[in-house]
Amino acid sequence: MASVTIRNVEKVFGSIKVIHGVDIEVAEHEFVVLVGPSGCGKSTLLRMIAGLETISSGDIMIGERVVNKVPARDRDIAMVFQNYALYPHMNIFDNMGFSLKLRKRPKSEIDRKVMEAAETLNLRPYLQRSPAQLSGGQRQRVAMGRALVRDAQVFLFDEPLSNLDAKLRVTMRTEIKALHQRLKTTSVYVTHDQIEAMTMADRIVVMRDGRVEQVGAPLELYDRPGNLFVADFLGSPSMNFIEGNARRSDGAALLETANGSQIPLPENAPVVDGQPVVLGLRPEHLSLTDPEEGFAATVKVVEPTGANVEVFFDFAGQEVCAVFNERYPLVAGQKMAISWLPDKVHLFDGVSGQRLESE
Amino acid sequence: MPALPAPNVHDGSEMTSFSGLKPLAMILPGLFLAMFIIGYPVADLAYTSLQEVSRFGKLQGFAGFANFAEVFSDPLFWSSLYRTAIWTVCVVAGTLLLSLPIAIMLNEDFYGRGLARVIIMLPWAISLTMTAVVWRWTLNGRSGLLNATLMDVGIIAEPIEWLAEAQLAFTVEILVGILVSIPFTTTIFLGGLSSMPQESYEASMVDGATRWDQFIHITLPLMKPFINIAIVLNVIYVFNSLPIIWVMTEGGPANGTDILVTYLYKLAFRFGQLGKAAAISLIMFGVLLAFTILYVMLVSRGDRQPEEVEEG
Amino acid sequence: MQSKLIRSIVYWVILSPLVVVILFPFGVMFVTAVRPRDELFVFPPTWWFSEFRWGNFAEMWVKTSFGQALLNSVYVSVMSTLLALALSIPAAYALSRYRFPGKGAYRTFLLMTQMMSPIVLVLGLFRLMVALGMVNNLNSLVLTYAAFNMAFTIWMLQSYFNTIPRDLEEAAWIDGATHFSSLIRIFLPLAVPAMAVTGIFSFINAWNEFVLALTMIRSSDDFTLPVQIYSQVAGRYQVEWHHVMAGTVLATVPVAIVFSWLQKYLIRGMALGAVK
Repeated sequence: MASVTIRNVEKVFGSIKVIHGVDIEVAEHEFVVLVGPSGCGKSTLLRMIAGLETISSGDIMIGERVVNKVPARDRDIAMVFQNYALYPHMNIFDNMGFSLKLRKRPKSEIDRKVMEAAETLNLRPYLQRSPAQLSGGQRQRVAMGRALVRDAQVFLFDEPLSNLDAKLRVTMRTEIKALHQRLKTTSVYVTHDQIEAMTMADRIVVMRDGRVEQVGAPLELYDRPGNLFVADFLGSPSMNFIEGNARRSDGAALLETANGSQIPLPENAPVVDGQPVVLGLRPEHLSLTDPEEGFAATVKVVEPTGANVEVFFDFAGQEVCAVFNERYPLVAGQKMAISWLPDKVHLFDGVSGQRLESE
Repeated sequence: MPALPAPNVHDGSEMTSFSGLKPLAMILPGLFLAMFIIGYPVADLAYTSLQEVSRFGKLQGFAGFANFAEVFSDPLFWSSLYRTAIWTVCVVAGTLLLSLPIAIMLNEDFYGRGLARVIIMLPWAISLTMTAVVWRWTLNGRSGLLNATLMDVGIIAEPIEWLAEAQLAFTVEILVGILVSIPFTTTIFLGGLSSMPQESYEASMVDGATRWDQFIHITLPLMKPFINIAIVLNVIYVFNSLPIIWVMTEGGPANGTDILVTYLYKLAFRFGQLGKAAAISLIMFGVLLAFTILYVMLVSRGDRQPEEVEEG
Repeated sequence: MQSKLIRSIVYWVILSPLVVVILFPFGVMFVTAVRPRDELFVFPPTWWFSEFRWGNFAEMWVKTSFGQALLNSVYVSVMSTLLALALSIPAAYALSRYRFPGKGAYRTFLLMTQMMSPIVLVLGLFRLMVALGMVNNLNSLVLTYAAFNMAFTIWMLQSYFNTIPRDLEEAAWIDGATHFSSLIRIFLPLAVPAMAVTGIFSFINAWNEFVLALTMIRSSDDFTLPVQIYSQVAGRYQVEWHHVMAGTVLATVPVAIVFSWLQKYLIRGMALGAVK
């Protein structure tokens, strides 16, 4: 096992810079997920770690070794590709044993390791089949198996679940996580799916437009998103944002929205009078309350999901979403009142989008 | 041409520092051969066309544009040019008019479609020379089996000398030209039809379109790039096609079926007028180049989109 | 089901004139090839003949030295195809997998050479072969066929190579393969069908070529099949049509069968963008 260090790495395609000086430290045994919308550079970064993409500037280290100029075959990494990249002209056994064969390992060792991996992944009955004869989930397992037999220093995953159907994706997610908990191989995992990121990662790296937006443990990012982008990206349904200008009088702070509604802010909110501010509220932190204690909101749409209900309100001239575990008998057009606990409020600067931290 | 987008977005990423040279080394040998075999003759023709050349191919000094002047004052050149235009326009137009409906039928499911495809593609498999030889015999004025058939059916009472009279011979050659051009053109159209989006047809059906509406408003516009390419490629191929006319009538009788290529070939290899032949070659090369540039423009216009994805 | 039946009948009726015209010369070919010599020029002309004279084929083989021409055609077609493939495979791989300076210009050059017909350059090509001392030498055809075919083979190969996912090779590198061994063990095995199909089309092109063979080859010992058959028709007072037709049957039928079998690959290649 080894750590992975990415130090001020940049990538330029022709005249376009796609990675702008990224720093990431992946500790030994850690499972780090790179997440972001498509085109954010996460796959390019992973391929640079793998040695499939040149590094324009900066350093990538695996363990103590700078690998910038080291070809992929000598980096001692294993990778699971989005489309699995199984060799179509080899059977499953040969697919999994190919790397060991290239390293000229004795036949007995290849047999043993492939069998072990096949056992772990429930692939024993399929070893003599060709990839074309397997289902999507089984191919996914073979791709994993090919990585497993390697005892590689680092595992790299490039959106490995994106070609599976929703149900299988959840199953495989759990399997990959269980596997990591057992093997503790340093892993870098790329996905655009924030749920995969939240559920699997020891630490998440949120990327956008070739830059790192925020790094941290899943719940840390969820609870204290560093900016509007991260706040919006993590969580489903995503965080509600209410835009307005801060007003301060006699120590009290409040948010004035475009339609003139006034929403009180915590007294210690780090805002000055007139400052454009975005108030963030997670849907699950909203609750129905007495009209005297809450804010007026009109029900627009009710969407039961089974486990809970998503309700969209017209509130302060903007649309906000709330998630209730209770099955309230709400209908469109109904006038209600909503409230939230002050410590669940997220505040962002309206101009920079950065989180405003209460002292 | 609306090709499929490049399957892989990551283009040409390479670990080795000399990756810039490796692909060049891979294309160079072929490039060298093509340059040599195609480039040398072009240069040689350009040089020869400006020289006075003896009957035995000896260059006898700079002649300026004398060869070109001679070509332009030659009535046979103009009549061949005129016939080349007729030949090209008739064959290409006839081919396109027949190939599009054929391709549309072959693209649909019907009993025996596989067999129909094989039969219609058959002329492509056979060299033009052989086809022309067989037709020359089939059209034999006395004992040809076309005459036999037409007389058996009762369409004609006396055998017809199909190839003895220029006007009729040229018409027959045009028909054979169309016949042998259909497979290639149909193949282009089949390629185009197979990439048609099925949803558009289904959507239009829901919207109440008849099959004729579908043809006019969906098939034709979407097929336009393929039709353009079929036109340009056919013009180039037909313009250059020697074997049919050469084998069936050798441009005769009395130069009455000569087109530029047959006339050029006679000048060069029968009459030994190399300077004049080089001049005509060069004129044809210019025409061809114009069409080729048109073709390259057509292709790269359709090509641009996937290209940009690739570069990204 | 009913509508498919009706459609089939309608389509076959529409296509039948064309089918007849296409098959007609084949009928002529066979009927002439097997009829006795003295029934060639009868009047009035007729399809009928008294007996199948299979001996025509053997007679033709000897009298026209068909075997030699066949060997020449095989030699020229095989060698030019091998040469074209040997030069095209790396070029197509480079086009499919690498980005390099001048790639756009190279593509344009290929398109241009694809359009260049030998006939326009035939005089220059002849003078080139005179200069090289290769007139009457089958290798002159090998070189020119390979050169003129390469644009087609490169495009065809490239469009198939593009369908072989790049990540297979990348997976092999990560598995520890060198570029060379990933080529040998992963890429080439997957590219074999594409190379075979492309090779066969290149072979057929060379097999059928006429103008250059007519020009470069002067002695009848070195004739390829199209020229050999043409030479029995052109400028002769008495044409032995039963021999000529027997020759065309032998020269075309095997190729036609292979072509019919492969034509769907050609259509697929076109759909992939091989028209370019």
